Parts: sequence; C-alpha cells; structure tokens
Amino acid sequence: MSLSNTRTLMAELRQRMGEDDPMPSRREPQRIPDPPVRVYPKPRRPSRFAKEAAAHTTALVGIGRVGTRYATSVVLQFQAELAVAHSAVATVLPDEWAAENGLLSLNSRVEDHRQFLLRPDLGRRLDEDSLSRLREQATKGVDIQPILADGLSAVACMGSGVALLEHLTAECEQRGWTVGTPMCARFARVWLEDEIGQEVGAKVAVILLGERPGLGTGDGLSAYMVYKPEVGKTDSDRNMISNIHQRGIPPPEAAHRLALMAGAMLEQVTSGVTLDLGPLTTELGDAAGTGLREPQVREPLVFVGEEGEGR
Amino acid sequence: MILEPLLPSILSVRRIPNADPALLRAYGADPEKHTSLGLLTCDQDDPVYVALDEATKHASVDVVFAKSFWAGAGSASGPLSGEVLGVIAASDPAEIDEGLAAMIRCLEHDACFYGANDDGSIAVFPHVISSLGHYLSAEAGLPVGSAMAYLVAPPMEATIGLDAALKAADVTAAKVFTPPTETNFAAAWLTGSLPDCEAAAVAYAEAVVAVGREPRQL
Ligand code: B12
Repeated sequence: MSLSNTRTLMAELRQRMGEDDPMPSRREPQRIPDPPVRVYPKPRRPSRFAKEAAAHTTALVGIGRVGTRYATSVVLQFQAELAVAHSAVATVLPDEWAAENGLLSLNSRVEDHRQFLLRPDLGRRLDEDSLSRLREQATKGVDIQPILADGLSAVACMGSGVALLEHLTAECEQRGWTVGTPMCARFARVWLEDEIGQEVGAKVAVILLGERPGLGTGDGLSAYMVYKPEVGKTDSDRNMISNIHQRGIPPPEAAHRLALMAGAMLEQVTSGVTLDLGPLTTELGDAAGTGLREPQVREPLVFVGEEGEGR
Repeated sequence: MILEPLLPSILSVRRIPNADPALLRAYGADPEKHTSLGLLTCDQDDPVYVALDEATKHASVDVVFAKSFWAGAGSASGPLSGEVLGVIAASDPAEIDEGLAAMIRCLEHDACFYGANDDGSIAVFPHVISSLGHYLSAEAGLPVGSAMAYLVAPPMEATIGLDAALKAADVTAAKVFTPPTETNFAAAWLTGSLPDCEAAAVAYAEAVVAVGREPRQL
C-alpha cells in the first residue's frame, strides 16, 4: 500500500521546533467497565428425563462439574475404570483354564498376546495341533456349535463365559437341537467360528467372546452367530449380541435371545443381513426386557471424602 | 506534545451488495454501472476524503457520495454519525470490499489530524498526497497522479497558514475553501512537485502552531 510521508514530516517539524518529548504523551486512562452484576449464572432446573436417563447408563453423563472441570471423584473414577479396561485387554487366558473347566482346549495360530493384538488374521484360524484335536475329539454334524473364547477380554471369558455357555446349551437342548462339544479357544477373533463350525459340520456356530473393554465394562461378552459356518464367511453373514454381563444383559437372558436367533437361522436357513428377525421382535423384545429396566449402577472404584459424597 | 496524530475513529462500515436503483440514484451512483455500495462514517471528515481517494487507487470503485455534517463530530446526530459519510460504488461487491479495506488502512495508518497545541484542541490537517486518485483529482480539477497538499485548520489558523504555505514553496492553489465549511473549518488544496507540496504542508503546520501560541499579535 502507499502511505504518505505526512507523519514523518510532522515528526521532523516537531523536532525542529524543539517540541519533542522523550516521554510518550499522557493518554486518558480507559474507563474500565463495571463487572457484571451477577457473576454466577443461575443453574438451570435439572431435567427429570436427563436424570432418569443418566441413571440407566454407565456412560459419563449427568456427572456434574466443578467450575469448568470434572469433579475430583469423577476424574479418579475415570482413571480407575480406564485402568480396569487396560488390564482386561492385557489379561491372557491361562493355558490350562479350558481343561480345568471341562472344555476342549483350542488355540488360534497366534503365539503370544502381543501378536494377538497385532495380527487379527492369525486369530481367525486354528493352529495345526488344535485342528487335529478338534477333528479327533469333537462331535460332528451338530445343529449348533457354541465356542467360548477369550477375544479381547479374557476377564470376561473367565467371568461369565461358562455360565453363558451352560445357559445357551440348556436353551438349545430344550428345543431338541444337538449341541456340539463344549470348547474354548485362546487368542481368538470372531471369524475363528467359521473354521471350527466348518470342521464339525455345524448348522449354526456361535462364538462367545470377550468384547473390547470400555469404561465401566472390562467384563462384557459378545456372541457372534453364523449359519452354515465355513471359511470365507464375512461379518455380513453374522448376527451378534453385545454387552453380556451381570450389569448388562445377564447370561440367562442373553442365552434365551441367542436361542431365538439360532431358531430363526435354522428356520430361514440363512444369517446376517438376509436374516429376518421381524417375526421375533416381540419375543426378542420380551427376552431383552424392553420394559423399564433397573437403573444401571456404576460400580464405584474410588471414594473421595466422606462416604456418600462420592460425586 | 504538539503535532501528534489525533487518530480518527471509524464509527461504522457497511456494504450493500445489491443496492436498490432508487438508493443508488439518490446517492449519486448510476444503476446502469453500479450495483454495490460501501459506506463508512468517521469522526474526522478530511481523512475520509483522502481515504476515499485512496480507495480509487486500489479498487475499481467510484466515490459517489462524500459529505461532512454540520458543525462536525462534536454535534453528531448519533454515536455512529461522526462528521462524515463516505460512499463508494462498484459493479462488483468484491471491489467494494477491496475499496473499504484500502480506506480502513489509510484511516488507521496514514491520514489524520494533528494537535497544534498541547491539549490538541487546535487541530490541523497538513496532509500530503503524493499521487492523486480519480476522486480528488476530479474534485480539484488536477490530473490524476499529481501531488497535492491537503491543508485544513480552524478559520484564523488556516488563513495565516495558507499564506505561509504559498510563500514557502513553489505551489499553486487548486482550490481554497474559505470559512465556514460544514464543520466550520477552512481548507486549501495546493499542487506542485511532491517536495514543494511537502514544504508547503510543513510551513502550514508550523504557522498554525504559531497562531495558536500567539493568537493576538499587534
Ligand atoms: C470394534 C467394533 C467395530 C469395529 C471393528 C474393527 C475391527 N476390525 O476389529 C468397526 C468400527 C469396524 C465396527 C463396525 C461396525 N459395527 Co461395531 N463394534 C465394535 C465394538 C466396539 C467392539 C467389538 C469387539 O469387541 N469385538 C470382539 C473382537 C474379538 O472381535 P474381532 O474379531 O477382533 O473383530 C470383529 C468384530 O468386532 C466384528 N464386528 C464389529 N462390529 C460388528 C457388528 C456386527 C453387526 C457384526 C456382525 C460384526 C461386527 O468386526 C471385526 C472384524 O471381523 C462393538 C461394541 C461391543 N460392545 O462389542 C461394536 C458393535 C459390535 N458394532 C456394532 C455395529 C452395528 C457395527 C456396524 C454394523 C456399524 C455400521 N452401521 O456400519 C459395523 C459393521 C462392521 C462389520 N465388521 O461388518 C454394534 C452391533 C449391534 C448388533 N447387535 O448388531 C455394536 C455392538 C456396537 C453397538 N452397541 O451398537 N465395529
């Protein structure tokens, strides 16, 4: 841009007239505006709906605040829950756990925990030994093959895994279906059910495995179910139920829903996106208890100050 | 301290990207040629006239309206009025933006009144334009690109100052505005070479300061 020379000319004239002042000229102090009359906004009336909703989830809502920050108790609880989640991911299913629980012990091609996290592909296939063990010991040609597995939380598997497996087996047998040999796979990903199901010639395979731990749930199981399992199936061929644990969908309820789902697969001879669960809406809904659920209580891991002053 | 800038305050800046033809005509624009207007008010009128001229050098805009308000900023009709409204017009709103930006730059960093006494109650505008744009060249009847000293002061100071300026350098008066102008000042536009215009402006400012110091000299 083109500035004129006027300011320089005037500064020079001022100097020539002996009027320069080394001190900058005094400026009128700026008027400081009065502070707002009320500094703290009036708290809004808490919504009854929000309160009720917050009671039914362990998500971090309705947790209040201190100034612009979380309350100390919330921060500590958050950190504690994160630690629980981390340690759930890091837990390895002991070698002998399957045998101790009377389950056929299988291993994926994964060799250690680090490799399990880094190589999902290896977690989707059985190693040689397991494959021959499966071929020798498992019952073939069954209607349904449940597979317990560690997945992303061995804690969940060891927690309610056996209970879920037993309830599911009972639900299936009640319906007159043949249920495959109880088994447990280590370092397993969801797709491992395809190879196992294919080997035992099951009509339906369902893998019950630890789901990725989150805040407040290091012990959740998921069940992924597929009709006519074989290597090469994808996730669009599957149906799943998540959040199976005491504070979520309790194992007996989950087993009931899974049996309904398996029934639909056997009847419609398909699964995944082509499976129509419409006719089961009411039954599944009843099984899921879509009525008013009990509030989901967050398990306090940390106490701050007086008891009861938790937040 | 004397001869310090008295910085102008821009009080409002607005644009009308697609102005009504009746409005365009009323404010001196040509609906055949112009669609958009840019408007600015300020508490110092003469810096705005210089800024309007500056806008014509940076963007394809025409200055269609520029008027000072009676008795100046001290008698303004409202907090946004100040003592002048300047309006530029263009066929393209983007040119208005460029033009307004050039005006704001000029008002914030260049053209301003200066205090001719210690408390700044005597104001002098001894501004030198090195190269005239379309607007002031037309107003002054000078070729685009000429140098011009744009000189303003209160009536007595301005009259003594003008005499000093004309005598100090090889300049001619393109236009003299005797008092009272709308704002009750007096002004003169002098032209010549750039160094002569500068010498004239300095002599003008010096004379204005001198009158302020010795108003009654017999
Ligand atoms: C991680 C995750 C994902 C990741 C999976 C990345 C990966 N490659 O591992 C991404 C972001 C891709 C994903 C996408 C989807 N997800 Co998801 N996902 C999860 C989450 C958080 C954890 C899953 C887990 O722990 N698996 C266990 C480990 C051991 O399995 P894995 O073999 O390592 O990984 C496989 C599974 O995670 C599977 N998977 C992931 N999501 C889904 C969803 C369905 C319907 C199926 C069949 C499989 C599947 O894909 C992985 C690769 O094969 C769950 C939440 C939960 N509480 O479980 C939701 C969850 C399973 N996802 C869900 C949904 C709806 C989807 C999408 C259909 C969303 C969409 N509309 O596109 C897609 C489908 C993905 C697919 N594979 O076809 C829902 C399923 C609800 C239901 N009952 O059907 C869940 C429960 C979340 C929720 N509460 O809404 N998901």
